[in-house]
Amino acid sequence: MDEKELHIGEHQEQDEQNPVARELHTEEFLVNMGPQHPSTHGVCRLLLTMDGEVIVKVEPYIGYLHRAIEKICENRIYNQITPFMDRFEYVSSMLADWVYALCVERIGQIEVSPRAEYLRVIFGELQRIASHLIYWGVFAMDLGAVTPFLYGLREREMIMDLFEETCGQRLTYNYIRIGGVSQDINPGFEQKCKKFTSYMCQVLEDYETLLNENPIFLSRTKNIGVAPPELSVAYGVSGPSLRASGVNWDIRKDDPYGYYEKFEFEIPQGKNYDTWDRYQARVIEMRESCKIIEQALDGLPEGDPTFKMRASFKLPEGEYYARIESSRGEMGCYIVSKGEKKPYRLKLRGSSFNNLMIIPEISKGLKIADLVAIFASYDIIMPEVDR
Amino acid sequence: MFLGIELPQIVLSAIYFALTLGVVLLMALFLVWWERKVSAHIQVRFGPMMTGKWHGWSQTLADALKLLQKEDIVPRAADKGVYFWAPVIVFGATMMTFVVIPWSPRFIAADLNVGILYIIAITTFTIISLLMAGWGSNNKYSLLGGMRSAAQIVSYEVPLTLSIMGVVLLAQSLSMQDIVADQNKFWNWNIIRQPLGFLVYLVAATAEVNRTPFDLPEAEQELVAGFNVEYSGMKFAMFFLAEFVNMFVVAAIATALFLGGWWGPFGNESLGWLWFVLKSMGVVFVLMWFRWTYPRLRVDHLMEFAWKWLLPLAFLNLLATGLIYNLVK
Amino acid sequence: MGMVKDFFSGIYNLVVGLFVTGKHLGRHAITLQYPKERWEMPERSRGVVVLLSDPETGELNCTACLLCMKACPTGAIIIDREKNPETKRWFPTKFVIDNTICAFCGLCEESCNFDAIKLTGKYEFSVFDQSELIYDMDRLAELGRDVKYTPRKKPAAKKAAEQKKPPAEGKKPDEKKEDTAEKKPEEKPDKIETNPAEKKEEKAEASDKKTEDQESRKPEEAKQGDLGLDKEEDKKESGN
Repeated sequence: MDEKELHIGEHQEQDEQNPVARELHTEEFLVNMGPQHPSTHGVCRLLLTMDGEVIVKVEPYIGYLHRAIEKICENRIYNQITPFMDRFEYVSSMLADWVYALCVERIGQIEVSPRAEYLRVIFGELQRIASHLIYWGVFAMDLGAVTPFLYGLREREMIMDLFEETCGQRLTYNYIRIGGVSQDINPGFEQKCKKFTSYMCQVLEDYETLLNENPIFLSRTKNIGVAPPELSVAYGVSGPSLRASGVNWDIRKDDPYGYYEKFEFEIPQGKNYDTWDRYQARVIEMRESCKIIEQALDGLPEGDPTFKMRASFKLPEGEYYARIESSRGEMGCYIVSKGEKKPYRLKLRGSSFNNLMIIPEISKGLKIADLVAIFASYDIIMPEVDR
Repeated sequence: MFLGIELPQIVLSAIYFALTLGVVLLMALFLVWWERKVSAHIQVRFGPMMTGKWHGWSQTLADALKLLQKEDIVPRAADKGVYFWAPVIVFGATMMTFVVIPWSPRFIAADLNVGILYIIAITTFTIISLLMAGWGSNNKYSLLGGMRSAAQIVSYEVPLTLSIMGVVLLAQSLSMQDIVADQNKFWNWNIIRQPLGFLVYLVAATAEVNRTPFDLPEAEQELVAGFNVEYSGMKFAMFFLAEFVNMFVVAAIATALFLGGWWGPFGNESLGWLWFVLKSMGVVFVLMWFRWTYPRLRVDHLMEFAWKWLLPLAFLNLLATGLIYNLVK
Repeated sequence: MGMVKDFFSGIYNLVVGLFVTGKHLGRHAITLQYPKERWEMPERSRGVVVLLSDPETGELNCTACLLCMKACPTGAIIIDREKNPETKRWFPTKFVIDNTICAFCGLCEESCNFDAIKLTGKYEFSVFDQSELIYDMDRLAELGRDVKYTPRKKPAAKKAAEQKKPPAEGKKPDEKKEDTAEKKPEEKPDKIETNPAEKKEEKAEASDKKTEDQESRKPEEAKQGDLGLDKEEDKKESGN
């Protein structure tokens, strides 16, 4: 990349030699990108040091969406924490519910019925598709094409409808509970879900014709923001972004939870480690999720998936960590219990936080438009960063 | 002749221009509404539906009225004079191009013998005003937007002009009416005779009016709103209307130069103005379609595209046209 | 050659992209014209919290056991209670739900054993003043008047019902489906603008049907509502 080699220092050296340039010397300037900016996905503030259009330095400033969720959770009994998990990561709250439930179940050694586990997989994967649909739309929108955003949301609405008829809400589900799920699915849900997955596969083809071969889209994504595997691992990047960097790491396969060992699916990996790979990893993942959902629907066992936990219970003393593969990467829940009704300490790991920190490293020397593309390609969600 | 009364040319021209101005302003309002409708239907939604009952036809009117009433905010650090004159210039320059638009065989404000040169000269004013807006706002995003637009419009002016030259060569005239009159049959339309020229013109014109995929000066996702980020109220409305009028202007020029102007598809001269408007609207629709389909180019790709692709293509087109013209002759 | 090939494939792919968006131009919009049309809310929808009352006597079902207040993760529910000296039963004197902090998680509904509190599909409750969002008992009861619900049987009646008809697993969902299918045509969004009198009649009809349906469903509901242990434990705690 030509732009990468052009460093500001070299400019200035050249300027000093050139008499005209000495007269018209250029200066770096600071641009506050955010907290209110259309493409920082909420309230992230990036302080850019710019040389014209070229980025010299990026400093992310976070904390504008801090709601002290961890502290709030420490003052609630275990059953009351699930609604706050929905708010911890509201773009894939089903998965946030899951990680908390998983952690508590592991501590309390609570048995989960097979039907509940299957339902968790179905809803978790639906949630993953919904989240990636938003990603797809927002990514295209940040590159300037607004229409895909609306298409992505259209498909997401169908998933929201499935969620709403099952658990009653469209965003903050409070569905996956300690020991099971809150309600069984409605009759007819399986058919609707199957209809949706087949429709989704069809729509994905449309998506690919719209963007994947578009020369403008390719020129904006190929070889932009290359994150080599070593760098990604060093920064603790996880999820599809890590797999796009060529690292084969998926918690669903490598540290299985739920019934994920029972399903067959593939994990896409990137070759060029660039923005395009990160985009493509998620599009392929949507197809794989469809596959998992179909398998789970076929093997859905009978039984009662609900589990009524006592209103307040105590967990044994100790420290516990559970992690799942969320739509953005490793989502973790760490609970320190002192044998009381409330957790002594509850720490949440949001993958967006680590994913955000690699951006300054790989966007140096690129244009401001590339920064927007890279930011979108990492799928940064601010509530997960600030908690 | 105007309404059966014999009038001196200057008065006639003034009347024509005033009429054009009125029609154009109405058309700008219509175009804003239409763009919203087109984008909405591409995105499987309705767009405005409430204002004025029938498909929200009066939505833009209501918006314009609202913008008129709004407080005129001038940033404290802005360069007041520059800040004030930028929207006026862009609006004025846009309106001035209508002088040489040939609506029908008779209906043209002034059939200048250097019509095309005049248009190219006038549209250059847009750069100045965008630069003024970017500089005068005293905002970094605006400045970046202004700089981008200056670089972009200067670059794309060159292939644009060269692509038009092929047409000029064929018609042997710089006057708009002569060029239109030259395309009397369907197979004589310049889109048939100059397909490459038309393509180059369409792309360069899209860049000229800052529409996606070349909308870098106002790149919403990068520069928030680019050069007009600090503008509000009526000043913003003037930028906004000018953008849409500009879009119509480039479409009208494309119609006049490449799509047979006021000629009907069967070589008929009757209802010339209707054909002209219909064809222009067709081109405008294509521009809207572009906008709601494509992502945006990056600023260096944009320059690369202009100088490495469009300019050689325009030269090639001009060369081929010249050769063939001389051979046939 | 490669350059020329790139050029033409680029143009081809740009045109293909145009056709993808162009295809949608002719399609019908998927959005609704909101104030005129509305989505039908699903049965389990969690919207505004209401207090349910007995359809016959019109009294609130609430026994002021404070379970919902304890279950609420945000502390949006505030209850004051008194004991009726004659019947020796608690009743609420003050029941306030602060909708500004309510998270609509549904934990209150799940904790309730007396069909007293429910999250309904109602969702239009925006106001100009925040303080109007704090609903008192009258407001909550008023909101709950037209809400249909399946009453749980009292323990004595439950036994009788069980003897009459043993609960059949898996039958309930089918009935539920029929139930919603019957309701649907009457709750069509475009009917919202019909005159109120007509609408009331329709609703009355619907509720009649509903109660008929519910007769057959009661045993299972009663069985589901059997949360004996939890209830008693929490009651002891709440007594303190």
